[in-house]
Amino acid sequence: MLSIKQNLLETIKGGNPDRFVKQYEFLDIIMETPMELALCPGPGTEIVNSWGVTVRWPKGQIGSFPVHDAEHIVLKDITEWRKYVKAPSVDYPEERWTAAIEHVNSVDRNEKYVTTLVAPGVFELTHYLMSMEEGLMAFYEEPEAMHELIDYITDWEIRYAKQVIDHLHPDALFHHDDWGSQISSFISPATFEEFLLPAYKKIYGFYKANGVELIIHHSDSYAANLVPFMIEMGIDIWQGVMSTNNVPELIEKYGKQITFWGDIDSGKIDTPDWSQEVIAQNVEHACRECGKLYFIPGASQGLNISSFPGVYEAIDVEIDNMTKKMF
Amino acid sequence: MSKIEDVKALVEAGKSKKIAAAVQEALDAGDKAQDILDAMVASMSVVGDKFSAGEIFVPEMLIAAKAMSKGVEVLKPALASGETTSLGTCIMGTVSGDLHDIGKNLVIMMLESSGFDMIDLGVDVPSSKFVETIKANNNVVLVACSGLLTTTMPALKETVQTVKTAFPNMKVIVGGAPVTPEYAAEIGADGYAPDAGSAAVKAKEIIA
Repeated sequence: MLSIKQNLLETIKGGNPDRFVKQYEFLDIIMETPMELALCPGPGTEIVNSWGVTVRWPKGQIGSFPVHDAEHIVLKDITEWRKYVKAPSVDYPEERWTAAIEHVNSVDRNEKYVTTLVAPGVFELTHYLMSMEEGLMAFYEEPEAMHELIDYITDWEIRYAKQVIDHLHPDALFHHDDWGSQISSFISPATFEEFLLPAYKKIYGFYKANGVELIIHHSDSYAANLVPFMIEMGIDIWQGVMSTNNVPELIEKYGKQITFWGDIDSGKIDTPDWSQEVIAQNVEHACRECGKLYFIPGASQGLNISSFPGVYEAIDVEIDNMTKKMF
Repeated sequence: MSKIEDVKALVEAGKSKKIAAAVQEALDAGDKAQDILDAMVASMSVVGDKFSAGEIFVPEMLIAAKAMSKGVEVLKPALASGETTSLGTCIMGTVSGDLHDIGKNLVIMMLESSGFDMIDLGVDVPSSKFVETIKANNNVVLVACSGLLTTTMPALKETVQTVKTAFPNMKVIVGGAPVTPEYAAEIGADGYAPDAGSAAVKAKEIIA
């Protein structure tokens, strides 16, 4: 039997895997890493993150949202972004790295990738700072200022990357940035090519030039029209690919250049009344439609968690079942 | 190109910094305010169709709506004499348990551009709020409910049924990523739209 890492490599390189990759089994994400996630710790909480964005997770909801009323919005005028946007420091005290380094040292790198996590990502951070509507319009109305802001965020990401690489020597990067709704990309391919492709070529290029072997990009969305850019910027695996992308077609067209991880939409299976039967149907459909190569079955939601307890593990059970049926 | 054609082109292109002057030029040239407004509504309809077809994306819709909004501001004094032909008031909100607003906001822009007077209830709106708002406003012809999360579809059903119980003749349209035409019919909605562009078309159809 192939090791977890060997099986992953056979899957993404088009070789001879002996089973389906089971979601995040090949990644050991070092959550102890000092990081500036934009998200709230849990339901009923509200924080102001290190960029100054207020993020709120109301009770009874399944996620958090940035708050953009007049009192809380950070970036009030894109033309004066320097006045409002201050990147957090990436110079953490050495003791902040201790727990992460201990975790890294415990990982068998023959089996799993030591993985660093970055969120929310360049594009998402722009609209965390200024709201979705203002952020999207700014690409058209104030392109020079948006280029400057994106350059500033990119520079911060690379400075952060250097700290992570110097301290932890990760093998993989799991990077979040949602680039679309369920049915379309948020911005046109031309706008994406102008503003985000150069940023991510720098960021992912930096990681790859400094020992990172695998770039996994999370976008639980439609983004089929952006796949050529994903390939160009160095993404090895697109995690979160929703079924609206026609994943079998993407695999056929681009599989030799990028692997697709998803095709099981969380909204269909990760519900309060979830059932093993429905999960089984969705996993079977995805595995049979997408096949054994260049494809990792998994829920579209990011990370090895689910909104409702038990769903993530139930998906793993059904992936094992599909391995028995198809290998 | 006539002045009105200039205005139409600027709305479609989302030129919000140029639209006010163009609308004023059209008025100064003798074009009627209602005709200019109708032209801008037609432009937004083109924008909506292009969005539904995947030819343009959310930012282009937003800047077009912004341009129209700025153009309408210039027209308002000329329209204040009662020339407007409002389609009536539409109340819209994202249902209880859901905080997503971009889809709702796009639909509001498109419905407003089509001639509805819009009341935006925001997000996470309990069904009772929809009913209270109908009671508090005149000429409400349509209620629009949005929900993005599968987990809030029961709230969508409850909202539609609460509104219909209180106002049996009220038209209700629903939409959002997990919503299907079948589900919309099952919960008693009068209409369903898969995106903001087609929402405006459907809204006009169901109140006709």
